[in-house]
Amino acid sequence: MNALLTITSERADDSPITLLQLAGRLDASTVGQLEHALADAHAAGVRAAVIDLSRLTYVSSSGLRVLLSERSAIRKRGGDLFLCALSLSVREVFDMVGFSAIFSLFDSVEVGMEAASILTKTR
Amino acid sequence: MSSRPSIPSDNQGNDAVLTVPASLDHLRLVTNFVAQIASRAGFAPEQVHRIELAVDEACANIILHAYAGQAGGKITTRVHVQPGHRLVITFIDTGKTFDPDEVPQHDPHVDLDNLKVGGLGIFLMRQAMDDVRYEFNVAGSRPDEPATFNRLTLVKHL
Repeated sequence: MNALLTITSERADDSPITLLQLAGRLDASTVGQLEHALADAHAAGVRAAVIDLSRLTYVSSSGLRVLLSERSAIRKRGGDLFLCALSLSVREVFDMVGFSAIFSLFDSVEVGMEAASILTKTR
Repeated sequence: MSSRPSIPSDNQGNDAVLTVPASLDHLRLVTNFVAQIASRAGFAPEQVHRIELAVDEACANIILHAYAGQAGGKITTRVHVQPGHRLVITFIDTGKTFDPDEVPQHDPHVDLDNLKVGGLGIFLMRQAMDDVRYEFNVAGSRPDEPATFNRLTLVKHL
């Protein structure tokens, strides 16, 4: 296990929604863990990935790249990414590269889960 | 000193230097090393975060692109503090060269769904720092330098 980043995943049986909680640092050395977690979600047929970023303290372009390609992949399947509770330093990087305008960002996991639930019921 | 806009090479004695194998396992070591010096030099935490981000992007590019998996590569990071003035960070590698102008430029204002992922790292470096300068095939002049190397210089003003 890489102590720099921990990812926990929660999903009710057969739910199209998964909740991923990221804690630590998302950089070139840890981004593979997120790719694995997202690949597992794909394989399980998840259409909405709610990602809790409240305990993610750092993101670099490697992490941004994976989030961007995941957004594209999941939207092609009629789903979306729901990024929740960004820390100030992560939000700053999102603002710098223009990602704040692209991604669906939510103040809390509860609101993100609600939006994901609406999307999976209507599509 | 003011007549020398580049790294004051006659003042190496005060610089902090760290050489690590060019592997992602060492990324955090280099960012920590520079962040601690930046904090002590008086940069505010949000500026230290930006410096750390630029250092991360610089090293990740060297590891993933300049050396591209080639074994035995090294990165030397040199940090020079001009008290009350600026921080100058240089990275030396002996990997592949590239033309920074050929890397697709990231534009944060492009049509959202057509956003390309290229150039994000260089874009972040330029956003985070006051000056970013690439030099390639530099001839080494000191015993501790390779015969030729690539040098990336990042500058942040206090």
